[in-house]
Amino acid sequence: MVNLTPWILAAPLVGFLALGLFGRFLPRVVVSVIGCGVVAVAFLLAVWQFISMLGVAPEQRVSVVTLWTWLTSGRLDISFSLLLDPLSAIMLLIVTGVGFLIHVYSIGYMADDPSYWRFFSYLNFFILAMALLVTADNFLFLLVGWAGVGLASFLLIGFWYTRSSAVAAARKAFVVNVIGDFGLMIAIFLVFGAFGTLSYCGVLNVCQTQGVARPAPSTGIALTSIDPNILLAIAIFLIIAAIAKSAQLPLHVWLPDAMEGPTPVSALIHAATMVTAGVYLVARASAIFTASPTAQIVIAVIAGASALYAAIVACAQTDIKRVLAYSTMSQLAYMFMGEAVEGYSNGIFHLTTHAYFKALLFMCAGAVIHALGGEQDMRKMGGLFGRLPRTFWMFLVGALSLAAIFPFSGFWSKDAILGDVLQKAINTGSLSWYALYGAGLLTAALTGFYIFRLLWLVFGGTYRGGAISVHGAGEAASDAHSATGDPLAQVDEPGPSMFIPMVILAVLSLLGGFYGTPWNDWIGEFLSPTVHSVPGLPTSDPRFWIADAVGLGVAILGIGFAWLRYGRGQIGVSEKEAPVVAFVGSGLGIDALYSAVIVRPLLALGRGLRVVVEDRALDGGTRGVGGLFAAGSRGVRTLQTGYARNYAVWIFLGAALIVLYFMVFPQLR
Amino acid sequence: MPVSAYLIVSALLFTIGAVGVLVRRNPLVMFMSIELMLNAVNLSFMAFARFLNSVEGWIFVFLVLTVAAAEVVVGLAIIVSIFRTRRNIDVDELSLLKG
Repeated sequence: MVNLTPWILAAPLVGFLALGLFGRFLPRVVVSVIGCGVVAVAFLLAVWQFISMLGVAPEQRVSVVTLWTWLTSGRLDISFSLLLDPLSAIMLLIVTGVGFLIHVYSIGYMADDPSYWRFFSYLNFFILAMALLVTADNFLFLLVGWAGVGLASFLLIGFWYTRSSAVAAARKAFVVNVIGDFGLMIAIFLVFGAFGTLSYCGVLNVCQTQGVARPAPSTGIALTSIDPNILLAIAIFLIIAAIAKSAQLPLHVWLPDAMEGPTPVSALIHAATMVTAGVYLVARASAIFTASPTAQIVIAVIAGASALYAAIVACAQTDIKRVLAYSTMSQLAYMFMGEAVEGYSNGIFHLTTHAYFKALLFMCAGAVIHALGGEQDMRKMGGLFGRLPRTFWMFLVGALSLAAIFPFSGFWSKDAILGDVLQKAINTGSLSWYALYGAGLLTAALTGFYIFRLLWLVFGGTYRGGAISVHGAGEAASDAHSATGDPLAQVDEPGPSMFIPMVILAVLSLLGGFYGTPWNDWIGEFLSPTVHSVPGLPTSDPRFWIADAVGLGVAILGIGFAWLRYGRGQIGVSEKEAPVVAFVGSGLGIDALYSAVIVRPLLALGRGLRVVVEDRALDGGTRGVGGLFAAGSRGVRTLQTGYARNYAVWIFLGAALIVLYFMVFPQLR
Repeated sequence: MPVSAYLIVSALLFTIGAVGVLVRRNPLVMFMSIELMLNAVNLSFMAFARFLNSVEGWIFVFLVLTVAAAEVVVGLAIIVSIFRTRRNIDVDELSLLKG
């Protein structure tokens, strides 16, 4: 089996450096070729090593490449080494594959942007950081990739840095992510304290499978010999890291605001990179979570609450991208649900299918926004089916997949997760696991509702916005408008560089689920050397069929409600509903709560410290010392009278004192 | 005569000189007072030299005389220079170095 991970990392690094340093001087065509080309190279290498991995026995599918020793200090031995195992192979395929499609899409979407080269440089850096995150062989380089992803998201969310809202969103994302970084760091310290090593081989037993050529002997301690409380603490801090990166309650607040970035960035953050990092982390550290049932309950609570919360809030959004943002949060919560019941492989399965359909949905949303000249408010859309039929069909595929309708990919992965949850509930007989299952079902219904609400608001009904002038406002646009009487005269379908990636993703959204069907859970078996998942409900069990039917039924029910409410032309909000809708739309007031409880007190504390500590204590202190010496010298100065006879008195007095001294202490003579 | 007689005269002269320095405001008189103090010390040096039959006291007297001469040269030059610029040589008026 070949291990090409160093080269997969090198490709986007080259692109990032080349574009970042020289992109300014390169023509756009060259920037496009380099930016997309390096990711394409990385993807092809990932495919190559994936195929070669399929060619060897499952026990031999783990390999570690050590590039160099980064630092050695006492027991601490960190080498820059890259791990290739089934989990990282799949993550690399998603990161580089979907990432590549988004790069190609960006060629069309960002064509008019003056900072074209900067955008592609950042995108390449994003891919690099994410690839490092998923291939790192120890927790320290995981943290390097983890922080790199946070930095990349900061740069890209704030890409249009002249908009103050974009800058604020970027800063918010960064601050919230740093909370997660902090959790990860504490977890790393605890891991080192407990295990004496940071390498996955030593901690997570991923190298249990034989045939791994590992240069340094593993100094790890068996997981079972660790104090369960320590394990729980590690797990909790890993959860903090994961929920900050994957936007789960209560650290989700950055995700909706992150929509300030260009739409391809949203697609990249939501589908291929960034938010999947938390899901990956839990799957990667599944050994720790499996050994800590309390941590699983914590994940289950967070996931259940986040899924419902995000789905409810998504129903009241008016911004097309914010609907999708909350949808991502809700879908990530499904992945965590699966991981909470030890269905790690199904969590990863949903991660892959979600990458296809969420990237597709964002691309369609981007196509709509692009066609309407930057309009994101769904209340000013409508009736676009006639103008953008191709986009509509693509969007429909994505929406059906998100709503988990048979046979789209989302159906297989989501029902696999719900099946795992139900199996856990049946096994334990505990009501709380049934409650989690119920939350999952309710979320499924809400998912169908909000995504088809979006569909009807954007594509159904009649157009509600003003005249659109896409290709530079001015005479021509208003002429065209008055000539045809059609405000959408200039609205056009996306070009090939945007449309082709959409088609590819639509195909994947349609067929992507077939590698994880209940009859042939290929992905689960493929991942089994790395993550040990519990089997879900068997197909022979009648409850399996009931669960699937119920899951499908509630989704269709949600779509039906969306049609009842929005499919027949009424889209307004009655006055009675308005305050409720506004409250739900604002994220159930969580942002306001954080602002009141955390942000404003901290700002007030900062201002208070500036007045009390900075002005009074620090400045006052330095001024006080200066004043002390000034006052002292003022006192001494009065001795300097300028009268020669006064000085003479002092001299005589001094002489007299010396004489007196020798008279009092005669023995000193 | 016992040596104490010389010392008493010397102490009296020194005190007169010291008081003169402190109470007079004319720099010329102050200079004369300083000379008086120096010579009072010279007198005690000589008395001890004779009494102890030692030559060191003589040496010190010569040194003191030399220093006194040099001091008078420098001091008188300063006083003349001040008098030329200010037409007044009251030392209490020369308080430019007041802190």
